[in-house]
Amino acid sequence: MNPSIFIILLTTLILGTMMVITSSHWLLAWIGFEMNMMAFIPIMMKNPSPRATEASTKYLLTQATASALLMMAVIINLMYSGQWTITKLFNPTASTLMTVALAIKLGLAPFHFWVPEVTQGIPLTTGLILLTWQKLAPLSILYQISPSINLYLMLTMSLLSILVGGWGGLNQTQLRKIMAYSSIAHMGWMTTILPYNPTLTLLNLLIYITMTFTMFMLFIQNSTTTTLSLSQTWNKTPIITTLTMLTLLSMGGLPPLSGFMPKWMIIQELTKNDILIMPTFMAITALLNLYFYMRLTYSTALTLFPSTNNMKMKWQFSPTKRAPLLPTAIVISTMLLPLTPMLSILL
Amino acid sequence: MLKFIIPTIMLMPLTWLSKNNLIWINSTAHSLLISFSSLLLLNQLNDNSLNYSLIFFSDPLSTPLLMLTMWLLPLMLMASQSHLIKEPPVRKKLYITMLIMLQALLIMTFTATELILFYIMFEATLIPTLIIITRWGNQTERLNAGLYFLFYTLIGSLPLLVALVYLQNTTGSLNFLLLQHWAKPLSASWSNIFMWLACMMAFLVKMPLYGLHLWLPKAHVEAPIAGSMVLAAVLLKLGGYGMLRITSMLNPLTEHMAYPFLMLSLWGMIMTSSICLRQTDLKSLIAYSSVSHMALVIAAILIQTPWSYMGATALMIAHGLTSSMLFCLANSNYERIHSRTMILARGLQVLLPLMATWWLLASLTNLALPPTINLVGELLVVMSVFSWSNPTILLMGANIVITALYTLYMLIMTQRGKHTHHINNIIPSFTREHALMALHIIPLLLLSLNPKIILGPLY
Repeated sequence: MNPSIFIILLTTLILGTMMVITSSHWLLAWIGFEMNMMAFIPIMMKNPSPRATEASTKYLLTQATASALLMMAVIINLMYSGQWTITKLFNPTASTLMTVALAIKLGLAPFHFWVPEVTQGIPLTTGLILLTWQKLAPLSILYQISPSINLYLMLTMSLLSILVGGWGGLNQTQLRKIMAYSSIAHMGWMTTILPYNPTLTLLNLLIYITMTFTMFMLFIQNSTTTTLSLSQTWNKTPIITTLTMLTLLSMGGLPPLSGFMPKWMIIQELTKNDILIMPTFMAITALLNLYFYMRLTYSTALTLFPSTNNMKMKWQFSPTKRAPLLPTAIVISTMLLPLTPMLSILL
Repeated sequence: MLKFIIPTIMLMPLTWLSKNNLIWINSTAHSLLISFSSLLLLNQLNDNSLNYSLIFFSDPLSTPLLMLTMWLLPLMLMASQSHLIKEPPVRKKLYITMLIMLQALLIMTFTATELILFYIMFEATLIPTLIIITRWGNQTERLNAGLYFLFYTLIGSLPLLVALVYLQNTTGSLNFLLLQHWAKPLSASWSNIFMWLACMMAFLVKMPLYGLHLWLPKAHVEAPIAGSMVLAAVLLKLGGYGMLRITSMLNPLTEHMAYPFLMLSLWGMIMTSSICLRQTDLKSLIAYSSVSHMALVIAAILIQTPWSYMGATALMIAHGLTSSMLFCLANSNYERIHSRTMILARGLQVLLPLMATWWLLASLTNLALPPTINLVGELLVVMSVFSWSNPTILLMGANIVITALYTLYMLIMTQRGKHTHHINNIIPSFTREHALMALHIIPLLLLSLNPKIILGPLY
């Protein structure tokens, strides 16, 4: 793609999200969402292919519907409160509509169907932007309207997401689809704690973005998109096998890695609100996620995946692909647990 | 406690920066020094625990387990030398690093004051063990073994996390030293029942209890020797240690809730001992014998009498050393004939006489011969369970007999009789192997002179 066009698109993408996050007027928030979507679609079509076209179309349809629903919620809120300020919503219908709209934007179940297919159709870097940056804007609006969200709707969607994210990823070999289902499950965890303590949503988002960023950077290093090609990394860049294993275990929520921190904090917060069955259920369902991360770990780091003999004798070139911020991201996504008291900075 | 943790962590740079021909010597020698320094912990106060800091403490229950853990690291390193000979130096160093990391995490687990720190370290020990089993095991079944190990333990321990957080909210602190005095009695409501289950299931899976023991034969058999040693000797005792700590807060509900698990332990120890009589795989036999011994420990902890707690602690230490020694002996067989089938290498007494002495001593301690500490533990447990309910003496007595049966079966099958012809040219025993066995059995025999150390806080 023409570099100047690409710069304009990236700038619009960033500007759109920034507008959503920083605005106090609902119209500007909606404009921000639309700018974000408009800019992201050409980025998804960077390398044109039927798969990319399909992914872009699905993304457009779902996000445009969600924006329209968002606008409807804003108008109903305007009708009942007479003002456009972004605070908690003043009408249950508006609140339900807006929650559903933002759930479609985030990819929460039962509106999750677009996430795996869109993530699969786009290149790895674009997939990284889809699963990390595009979550910031909807979650910031959810954070701001959190006092008025219908509790049962939110909890149903989030529990369903954790289940779908766990079970959906079990039969996948394509890494981008695995990351998509992992994103659905993590969004489920994030929105579970939203009605109770939105700070923990932000903490979970931060740790999730770091871990997903790390995973995608490790995949981009070797341009791997399938489990089969990931299993060849021992031959190309052996250190990536260890790093992939550590990050995957962290995503699965195993102590003492930092992926345990959001889960622990969420369970603590839910327990303080006298809810005990739900965190137990959520924690056990997260083990489904751990199963397919373990499968990836096995094929990458712990065993020698079956392969043809000439795959075992590749030339080891010095790497030319740069992985920006990878060491920092790896340290944050695996070693942050002792710094848990630091999360008070998010308050 | 940092005087143990920091040297253990520093063993890692020692391994990575040593010259290639010195990695084993350096790590074994320095870990042996650290294990000698653990004897400092024996300086216990009478009615109180040694409180080193807000985070770490040691009391007469954790001291013998700590000493066992720190004693085991040099032994594990000595045992692993042979099967890692052909690996490139980086992988040898990685293996040693996994063992050292496991050691550091175990030290922190046994000395943690705050129960959440205990939980985090408890879970953290899973990762190096998983890597050791899956990466360095020998057969394809090791993948399944690793998954079973990880998921059985995690499904048990996630409710424990919720229960611990709930306990912190209700009692205000999870510092174990405070909780001992602050714990409120639990009435028999449904939510308390679930909390009891949530607290105990993690440790019952780890011990393992008879119905949840499926991961253990897989993990023990597929692990390399160091993995088997640490699993049998220490990781199982983590479950026992956790149960001993957490039952002080679950009274008096334990009297009602313990029944199903007592039934499972009593029946399970007979079942697993009987299975040992029909095993063809040597390591599998030792693994099932571990389940049987641990069932005794579970029964002892669940009836909560002073004698039974003393018996449980003594039995944990005794079984740790014995089981580890049996795995080392089985491994010495495996390294020679590369098979775990018992009947393939028979009549070894003629070919390897000194090793036969170690086989005899290990078998004698396994069947709880007086005056070893194995007997002290088993006797205390049998007597206290008898006082809890008289008819259990039938099951316990049957278990002791069947234990003797399968231990002697194992001894006679491998050592006595006519030797098979194809093992005429096995390599004679290495001095390293003799040292390994001696270092296992000498503490065991010396402890029978003064079992007071291992009888736990209620002595």
